[in-house]
Amino acid sequence: MNKDEVFDLVRGHLAEELEVDPGKIGEGTRFKQDLDADSLDLYELVMELEDNYGISVSEQQAARIETVGDAVAFVLEHSPA
Amino acid sequence: MADGPTVALDGFGAEQGFEVLAEGARIAAADGIRLRVFGPERELGLDGVDGVEVVPTAEWIGNEEDPVPAVRAKKQASVVRAARDVSEGESAAMVSPGSTGATMAAATFGLRRLKGVQRPALAVRLPVPGKPVLFLDVGANVEVRAQHLVQFAFLGAAFSEAVLGVAGPRVGLLSVGEESGKGREEVSGAHALLSEAEGIAFAGNVEGGDLPGGAADVVVTDGFTGNVALKLMEGTAKTVTGAIRDAARSNPLATLGGLLLRPALGGLRRELHPDTTGGAILLGLRGIAVVGHGSAGAEGIANAVRLAARCVEVDAVGRTAALLERGGATRGAMARESGA
Repeated sequence: MNKDEVFDLVRGHLAEELEVDPGKIGEGTRFKQDLDADSLDLYELVMELEDNYGISVSEQQAARIETVGDAVAFVLEHSPA
Repeated sequence: MADGPTVALDGFGAEQGFEVLAEGARIAAADGIRLRVFGPERELGLDGVDGVEVVPTAEWIGNEEDPVPAVRAKKQASVVRAARDVSEGESAAMVSPGSTGATMAAATFGLRRLKGVQRPALAVRLPVPGKPVLFLDVGANVEVRAQHLVQFAFLGAAFSEAVLGVAGPRVGLLSVGEESGKGREEVSGAHALLSEAEGIAFAGNVEGGDLPGGAADVVVTDGFTGNVALKLMEGTAKTVTGAIRDAARSNPLATLGGLLLRPALGGLRRELHPDTTGGAILLGLRGIAVVGHGSAGAEGIANAVRLAARCVEVDAVGRTAALLERGGATRGAMARESGA
């Protein structure tokens, strides 16, 4: 697993669930301001990451993930693999 | 012999206990519905019941727990396992008479939202005598936007047509006046969007008093207003029913009149009883999730399972997705329409 793979998964999930053009999603993209994602969208992303990478994200940690890059960095830092 | 759809039933959470839940499972199984019940084998006592399989489960989520963290943390809880059973294809639908919040969270995360649905909504069939009125949202979303209300309208219309058998259901928007500009910003915004929407019969605004009167087949509102309105109607119906019973016992002549009316009122009582509707259904997911009434008796549990099975049989999910697509009411379509 490398950064690009995690980014691709995050981008693919967001593009599918939020029905947005994947080309508009970059590392600096903000979930709420740029993608109009709400708390339910973010919970689903967190659960997708937990299922795929065997990580555990607390409520407090989830609240600090504000951009696509934050999510990718969190996975890379906490993944057991 | 069981040949109907398989329904995953949360074996915990029935206020009246395991015996009542098990009896509800037996009644539903006798209709030919297969059940996978997630709960304690010994307490449920369902060994050997044709069409019923108990999946031993010891963990559950109580009403006092914060639903979202509990669902995320308790992967082996009965309601979470029931949702997973549907997502993994073992069951076709799930039913829980337990915590409404936990059921909504488990179903939303486990079954996932339909493509293009922003917020699932909790819908109930109001016990309006002789005429089904679907009312949503009754508690899933305290705050909503205009686009959410538009999606609720499509979700409700699809369910009303597919499951309740209402052809071309008329959809009303709950507000404080019939005029289009009445109500909060999200309500007037939804009114404007629904007036232009295709594939749906928008009946305009309806007021609270129109709800039990059947002014529309589907009535849409936010989860806060919907929950207050639903509880108000249930409380009023209970109070009025009690007052009629007291009046009928107030003197011998009234008692005689009451006895003469009893057969007719019995049917009405059954129609108004919460057990009859089978509970609420969470619309907008990729699977079927029914939230049973907390105080449901065995017949109420059975009706919740029957409702779930019927939704599967009529492909309520597929028909909902198709209507959303056809009406341009998916998240992406509405964002493109608004130029976002």
